[in-house]
Amino acid sequence: MTRSNDFTSIDRRQLLASGTAAAAIATGFAGTASAQASRTGVDLSTWTPQYIASLAGTAEYDTAAECYRVVPRDYRGRVTYWYSAPTQASPQIEHDMDKAFFEAFAAAYPNITVVKQGLNYNDMLDKLRTTTMGRAAPMVARLPILWGVEFAAKGYLREFGPADVGYAPDEFWPGALKSVMWKGKSYGVPTNNETMALIWNASIFRDAGLNPDAPPATWDDLVQYSKQIKERTGKNGYGMVARVNAGNTPFRFMPQLWAYGGGALDEAEANPDYKRIFINNAGSRAALQASVDMYVRDKSVPTSALTNTQNENQDPFLAGQLAMMIAHPSEYAFMLDRARKATGRDKETAEAVVASMRYGFVPQGPARRAIVFGGSNAHVFAPNVVEGGLDVNAAKALITFMTGPEWSTKMAWVSSNPGNIRGFRTKWMKQRLDEIKFLDVTTSMLPYGIPFPVLPQSAEIMNIIVPNMMQNALTQKMTVQQATDDAARKIKDVLGDL
Amino acid sequence: MTGSAVSPSPARRLGLFARIYRHRADYLYVLPAIFVMLMVIAYPIYYTIYLSFFNTPPNLALEDKIFVGVDNYSRVLMSDSFHEATWNTLVWTFWSTFFAFVLGFGAAIGLNRVFPGRGLLRGVLLIPYVISAVAASYLWRWIFHSDFGVIGAITVATGLTDRPINFLDNTQYVMASLIVVNVWKEFPFAMIMMLAGLQTVPDQLLRAARVDGAGAWSRFWHITVPHVRSVMLVTVLLLLVTNLNSFTIPYIMTGGGPAGASEIWITHIYQIAFGRIRFGLASAYSVILFIVMMALGYFYVRALTHGDDKAPR
Repeated sequence: MTRSNDFTSIDRRQLLASGTAAAAIATGFAGTASAQASRTGVDLSTWTPQYIASLAGTAEYDTAAECYRVVPRDYRGRVTYWYSAPTQASPQIEHDMDKAFFEAFAAAYPNITVVKQGLNYNDMLDKLRTTTMGRAAPMVARLPILWGVEFAAKGYLREFGPADVGYAPDEFWPGALKSVMWKGKSYGVPTNNETMALIWNASIFRDAGLNPDAPPATWDDLVQYSKQIKERTGKNGYGMVARVNAGNTPFRFMPQLWAYGGGALDEAEANPDYKRIFINNAGSRAALQASVDMYVRDKSVPTSALTNTQNENQDPFLAGQLAMMIAHPSEYAFMLDRARKATGRDKETAEAVVASMRYGFVPQGPARRAIVFGGSNAHVFAPNVVEGGLDVNAAKALITFMTGPEWSTKMAWVSSNPGNIRGFRTKWMKQRLDEIKFLDVTTSMLPYGIPFPVLPQSAEIMNIIVPNMMQNALTQKMTVQQATDDAARKIKDVLGDL
Repeated sequence: MTGSAVSPSPARRLGLFARIYRHRADYLYVLPAIFVMLMVIAYPIYYTIYLSFFNTPPNLALEDKIFVGVDNYSRVLMSDSFHEATWNTLVWTFWSTFFAFVLGFGAAIGLNRVFPGRGLLRGVLLIPYVISAVAASYLWRWIFHSDFGVIGAITVATGLTDRPINFLDNTQYVMASLIVVNVWKEFPFAMIMMLAGLQTVPDQLLRAARVDGAGAWSRFWHITVPHVRSVMLVTVLLLLVTNLNSFTIPYIMTGGGPAGASEIWITHIYQIAFGRIRFGLASAYSVILFIVMMALGYFYVRALTHGDDKAPR
């Protein structure tokens, strides 16, 4: 089984130009990358799979000691905490780590009571919106990267940053720190960060006459691969997702849009100010046209793409009926888990697919290679919206514990990466790299990560306007130009509220 | 008994407060219920109307909302999406109500006759109604799935189509597909209502009509229908209100897509409120829907309170 490592010297230069360095400059963290080399021993400018492997297991940290510098061990208090907990679909290791985290915290702080509430990812945002309005929010919540800014803008979050939990800002990815900033102030601490990659079924590639061990290098190649797969095997090529109001859609379409030089706003540019609308520029139109070509012209993607989320693509992929899709770092573990639980002929098929599964970089476009910079942040809610008042020290203790190198690595075991970059140097990172197949590939995509616009309107732009634009074009209700112009008009309207 | 030569002087009509005072014990009994209703019905209605006059962009806390007068109403009424959602809502409501009622009434007529296995059949036909709407939506989503649906697999396997039929990811077929699911889900309600109504039709009348030579259609049209007219009206009104308020089936099966082809009022309001986080705009939308509902509610109450007077005696 081959891992795709097309990390060339040219790629590294592009990385410096468009990835980390750009993000660092854009966020006002200029010089952070070099500072990281001195403070954390991590040099982001040489972020390759080999470098990541060489870092792992080279340092040890005393989690408890780091925490006690912020909140003493004997502190007595209570903290309410909401987070997206492992579900029945999660691999067992996530459940184990989740349990271990709370046990370890209880041992470290025996007098702090944690009242936790594990929520479904899809329900959590609406519940938080409702509870903040009703002044019944939890003290601490770990939220996906896009969500916090809305609450910060409304004044529902307490100013809070790495310094509050004893960590230096340069222990975190610049893009991650940017996601917790609103109007120059920090409102959270990154817990974990990840980028997705392209997965493909090598058997289907072989059957279609393609190189089974090489992913499409460009998005144009991906369109061609998808077509060839459909024509020669009858199976769907690329797992397009275009459902409205589902986070999966922008996470899979925006990399394509950015690669062609487009964007919703100017978020992929070196110095974004989120005031320039890119959704109807030539790059965005080219990207949308590529999707239309796959869906309408070639019919090489699932017809159900308009109602699908990523979940609906997992089964066809595991059944050997879908060749490629953009997938989460945890996809391999998930597929492996599903294959083990399958029975009869389904099990044989699923095991064969898992054996043929490959991870590689998401294709690049004429402008760049890009992927959504994902992850989560820990936030502290403002005392006036917290039910029963805020226990700041208990909140600090919990966040210090979860965002340190140890637990930010362990809590992200199969699905993400440590938000605290020192986590890459831990023995647990080495264990992850040894045990989790393809982790080096997904981790190597991190420098290509582009955060969504850090605006309260991001959810509307990404989850409603962009998917609607796709649907308008894919159903041929509008031409590509009309669909992009319509989206530009809507984004302009949305930005009018700023 | 002899009539009185002198008509009694009309009793002096008591004032409202005097009447309330006279019946104060009655009011005390219902006071808790009135209080609860004020809290859970009246206040939300008031607050929704109040909020509809404010702009609540996602970057502002609710207490920082901006007064915009009737701007939200004009934005709603002028928007293309409102017109599209309104048309979809009318199509959805009319055809769902029509087919659910016709199918339910037909099933009720069939079940009103005595035949072996009637109880079992009645139970079977009730299954769609008792299944959770969420479960039913997911079930039908897979049945209609555009790539791996059961119907598509059958039509391809039998050679009827080359590819699975695109039910849900197609702007032309999606609404019809959703209406099929909705009718399947709610026709048992119409069936139960009409069955109850049919069982009130006096058997003697039907037998007398038969003796007098009235045919089946004549008995149905001139005896059965007039007797169940008020039940029919109530059933249709309840179906209309239910369908206007529908959310689960369209939201779960298509999310209002593709390209807004199955977006109806309620799903659109939900998307404005929780997808776009614009509670003011969503409130204005809700108030418009509320007015429509109130009009239907008026006819419903009238049907309930006057229906009996119109039934033949």
